[in-house]
Amino acid sequence: MLTSLEPLINGILLGGLYAVIGIGLSMIFGIMRQVNLAHGELMILASYFSLVFLQLLGIHPLVTFLFVLPAIFILGYLIQTFLFNWVLEKGMEPYLMISFGLSIILQNAMLLLFTPDARTLQTSLAIKSINVFNLFYVPVIYLVDFVVGFLVLGLLHLIMKKTYLGWAIRAASDNLTAARLMGINPKRVYALAMGIAVITAAISGVLVGMTFTFYPHSGTQYLIIAFGVVIIGGLGSLPGTFLGGLILGVSQLVGGRIIGPGLQLLSGYIILLIVLTIRPQGILGRK
Amino acid sequence: MAMLEVKNLNVYYGGFQALSDITLSVERDQIVSILGSNGAGKSTLLKTISGLLKPSTGSIHFNGEKIDPLGPHDIVKLGLALVPEGRKIFSTLTVLENLLIGSYSPGARRTKDEQLENVFELFPRLAERKGQLGSTLSGGEQQMLAIGRALMSQPRLIIFDEISLGLSPVMVKHLYHAVNRIKQKGMVVVLVEQDVKRSLKTADFAYILQEGKIRLKGNPKDFTEEEVKKAYFGL
Ligand SMILES: Nc1ncnc2c1ncn2[C@@H]1O[C@H](COP(=O)(O)OP(=O)(O)O)[C@@H](O)[C@H]1O
Ligand SMILES: [Mg+2]
Repeated sequence: MLTSLEPLINGILLGGLYAVIGIGLSMIFGIMRQVNLAHGELMILASYFSLVFLQLLGIHPLVTFLFVLPAIFILGYLIQTFLFNWVLEKGMEPYLMISFGLSIILQNAMLLLFTPDARTLQTSLAIKSINVFNLFYVPVIYLVDFVVGFLVLGLLHLIMKKTYLGWAIRAASDNLTAARLMGINPKRVYALAMGIAVITAAISGVLVGMTFTFYPHSGTQYLIIAFGVVIIGGLGSLPGTFLGGLILGVSQLVGGRIIGPGLQLLSGYIILLIVLTIRPQGILGRK
Repeated sequence: MAMLEVKNLNVYYGGFQALSDITLSVERDQIVSILGSNGAGKSTLLKTISGLLKPSTGSIHFNGEKIDPLGPHDIVKLGLALVPEGRKIFSTLTVLENLLIGSYSPGARRTKDEQLENVFELFPRLAERKGQLGSTLSGGEQQMLAIGRALMSQPRLIIFDEISLGLSPVMVKHLYHAVNRIKQKGMVVVLVEQDVKRSLKTADFAYILQEGKIRLKGNPKDFTEEEVKKAYFGL
């Protein structure tokens, strides 16, 4: 009986990772009303960055954050400045097209550079698990995913509530004209916001790399997870994204236990459909 | 040298000319009024001064510096603040966050605590409501917040676009009292209004706008009622 807690607990832990996968997408939508289709590729790009540093320097994947996060922040800043900022006022389509194009370019660049082979960010954490009351096992790496995920969301929350950058980001999405009158340069704030969003994507990418295997085309799969998370939780809502991650994680693993592991993705999307039907704006989303 | 100098300004919305050859200046230590009926071009003029709109010809100088090529975020740093028409407060930010974002410019950040105290002294109501979301304030309180937020940028010139629009007479009196105190603190004030009587009473110098052109200017004490009516309504 108690062993049925296993998928529940593992689902919650995995949900912490899912929340970080979704938060960058949610942020960009909340701030600019735009959808970045290259989100998944930026995640996986960070997984490869981490792999390179790990192989070059022989350091732990979590330590590669020191190099990966600044690099990916600059990349995000430049992408927003030189690509996305040009089309912001032109509605959603140009942004979708550009980000889709970027995702294809990144995917193929990774294919060229890193070959289509399966990779993983190998650590001793991946093979350890904790025995819970002799009833079931929780993989340590899932625990790491959850803790890091929780920290990322908590830190993001603090940035949004306590810093000038956070106020500026929220002000710009609330009333752009007034924000400009306050001294905010929207394009600069958007570039910084994109930098932060891709940092969250990069963190989730490294966690994914430590937890599962990844390929140059893995981004698409995680973009879909990100969509699932933000649709369930509510676009642009930080607590909603956390909740969305947990719900998707739990429904996949619990559903997988009930209807079979091959169908765990399906069970996640059944929950997604139910949420969309009952509360189209997401559980914590505003109308 | 005047604090604000606007010369031969022409502004268009597409093919429609909203301002024609506007020339005006604001001296230090003055309250200047810009009057005009609905659609006269007042907000257009203010949006152009604050950098939200670009003039097709003409120039704007602030403290001797040419500001018409600058964006609004650079203009506010120089000490020119606009309290926009319709208040435009951040409804999803708290009152306190609304005020703090007013001190976004690096120069203003350093003295933000002091400024915050000044604003709360001017509008104690905002201190009581500082944890509430902007959207939960009444119209008058939102206007106070919009003014307080502009003051947080430590302006030397502060422009109010229709400060009294849609507010009760008691609230309007209260806000005008605040405007006078702002002037006493050494800031230069520009009032833009449809409400002719009150703003002519407050102003040291006035411009009356009609269909994008200046029809009358001078010390309001020298205006005759006939002149004002003619300039305002085009009768
Ligand atoms: N965004 C806009 N696009 C086109 N025309 C505009 C726009 N804003 C204002 N106008 C027009 O410009 C004229 C002046 O408007 P405005 O400056 O808002 O007047 P006021 O503030 O004096 O009421 C009006 O005829 C108005 O219809
Ligand atoms: Mg107006």
